[in-house]
Amino acid sequence: MRGHGSVRELPEAAAADHLCWVHDDDVAFGAAVRAFLAGGLDRGERLLCVGERAISALDGGEGPLGDVDGLRAGGVLETMTIAEAYAATGAFAVDRQRAFYEAATRRARADGYHGLRVVAEVTELAADPGNVAELVRWEHAADEFIASGSGMSAMCAYRSDLPADTLGGALAMHPTTHAPDHLSPWRLFLDEHGLALAGSVDTFTADRLAALLAGTPTGARAVLDLGDLEFVDVAGCRALAGWAASLRARGVPLEIRGASRLTQRVWQVLGLVELAPVTFTGARG
Amino acid sequence: MTAPAATTPSSAGFEHEALFYRDDETFLAGLLPYVREGLARGEDVLVAEPADRAAVLRDGLGADAAAVRWLDMGVVGANPARIIGLWATALDAASAAGRRLRGVGEPAWPGRHEAEFVECRLHELLLNTAFDGGAPWRLLCPYDQARLPRAVRTGALQSHPVVSTPEHRRPSTAFHREAAAAAFDTPLHQPADGVLRGSYGPDDVQATRRTVASFARSAGLTTEQGQVLELAASELVANSLRHGGGHGTVSLWATTDAAVVEFRDGGRIADPLVGRLALPPDAPGGRGLYAVNQLCDLVQVRSSTEGTTVRITTWR
Repeated sequence: MRGHGSVRELPEAAAADHLCWVHDDDVAFGAAVRAFLAGGLDRGERLLCVGERAISALDGGEGPLGDVDGLRAGGVLETMTIAEAYAATGAFAVDRQRAFYEAATRRARADGYHGLRVVAEVTELAADPGNVAELVRWEHAADEFIASGSGMSAMCAYRSDLPADTLGGALAMHPTTHAPDHLSPWRLFLDEHGLALAGSVDTFTADRLAALLAGTPTGARAVLDLGDLEFVDVAGCRALAGWAASLRARGVPLEIRGASRLTQRVWQVLGLVELAPVTFTGARG
Repeated sequence: MTAPAATTPSSAGFEHEALFYRDDETFLAGLLPYVREGLARGEDVLVAEPADRAAVLRDGLGADAAAVRWLDMGVVGANPARIIGLWATALDAASAAGRRLRGVGEPAWPGRHEAEFVECRLHELLLNTAFDGGAPWRLLCPYDQARLPRAVRTGALQSHPVVSTPEHRRPSTAFHREAAAAAFDTPLHQPADGVLRGSYGPDDVQATRRTVASFARSAGLTTEQGQVLELAASELVANSLRHGGGHGTVSLWATTDAAVVEFRDGGRIADPLVGRLALPPDAPGGRGLYAVNQLCDLVQVRSSTEGTTVRITTWR
């Protein structure tokens, strides 16, 4: 499974990093942005910095990133304001975002870099309620692209004064999060076999899980790994079963890996198997 | 020998009868004619007995045993709050097939814990609440007159409109219909000391879960028992936050043979059958207390104008 978790410090740079960084302190955020990008520099990746707040974080003086102007001049580092990003991709939509980042990653690799490391500070986008649903779908699509071995990695940054629901939805779509725990106690992300759900799901966030699962594209069969799920309550199990039922309606069977014995007992006592048959594999105690 | 229980013509409504027996002979004298009459009439006959009683009845029935559906009351009735749901499901299935249901249920077998007997009494009372006025069916509840404590026998007289022995069958003078609501209102006996208490509010769901999980470990429960209690804590704290005034208290204590976790809040549950009946999997509505009833060893719910208490006992 990919590295994942709720973190206090920036983890060491790795392939397929996808972090959600909620920030309220410009100094600490600036340091995190520079360290994240410096990690990419060490890995031989091209750097892309999107959003005014992320761009201004580059000017943090001495640090691991070194000569920012030199990097820019050498084509190692690109920056784009949100307005410039809009101009490049048109109105915010998942397909356009994906096409843009696929092309940028392909270009980076064609130019001899190992990949593309992106910092995107998208508070401005997320502050528009009309964008939130599409943004969450994009985060999920981005996670799929990142997990696929494309060479892209990303830190998605949001200011902490955005509505809790907006932050919760965005955070939930990242394997690694830097935010107060109550905003999103669980994370739904892609790993090598399919989807993975980690953390704790209870009745207060089960509706969000149901909504995010409903928007998740799957192939001819779906796999959900619960091996690192610490806790799931009755409402959480029902959200998973509801997803299984909608998959079944589309002819897609669901395999749930690594569910605890208790989760399977809950499944049985609530008669959830009547909603949709699910194959439980690799159960743990 | 003609058993009184079997000679009564079936009437409309739910017939709930206690059968007092002294030994295997009187147990069979009461049950064999009742079960065989049901089979002869083409009824669905469902027997929920603890394993040792079921073995006696099976032997007595001989070849007829194969036509009876058997449930191990020691398992399905371990927490008495699960039993009404089973009868409701069986009644629905029988009605759907155009047949009558005839049941035998012995939840209060000798040797159960005191708290279990208390819940058996509430369960027997609530059977009337659940099935009076509904589809007609019969339930005969054997009680071991020789080995059960007096309070349990007295309780059976209060919860069954009809009582019988193999010799006599009569209406119970001690039965009264309001007893169910009164029992649901009556606070549980509180332990004198050794209780840890904490309060919880909207931001404390995870913290309360963790407190309960850590208590389960310190009380020597198994990992899975601890996980079950953690799930129960999450469900019951959520209920307090949504329906119980937004906050509550949790109490934790250990007895010689159990770990006990109790949740209290200021809400009032009007329906004493709360958490006892299964809902279709795709129907809306909460399933928290129902799941807790299915997963935990013993669950005791009481609610009045003073508030709601849910006590969960886990046997060690």
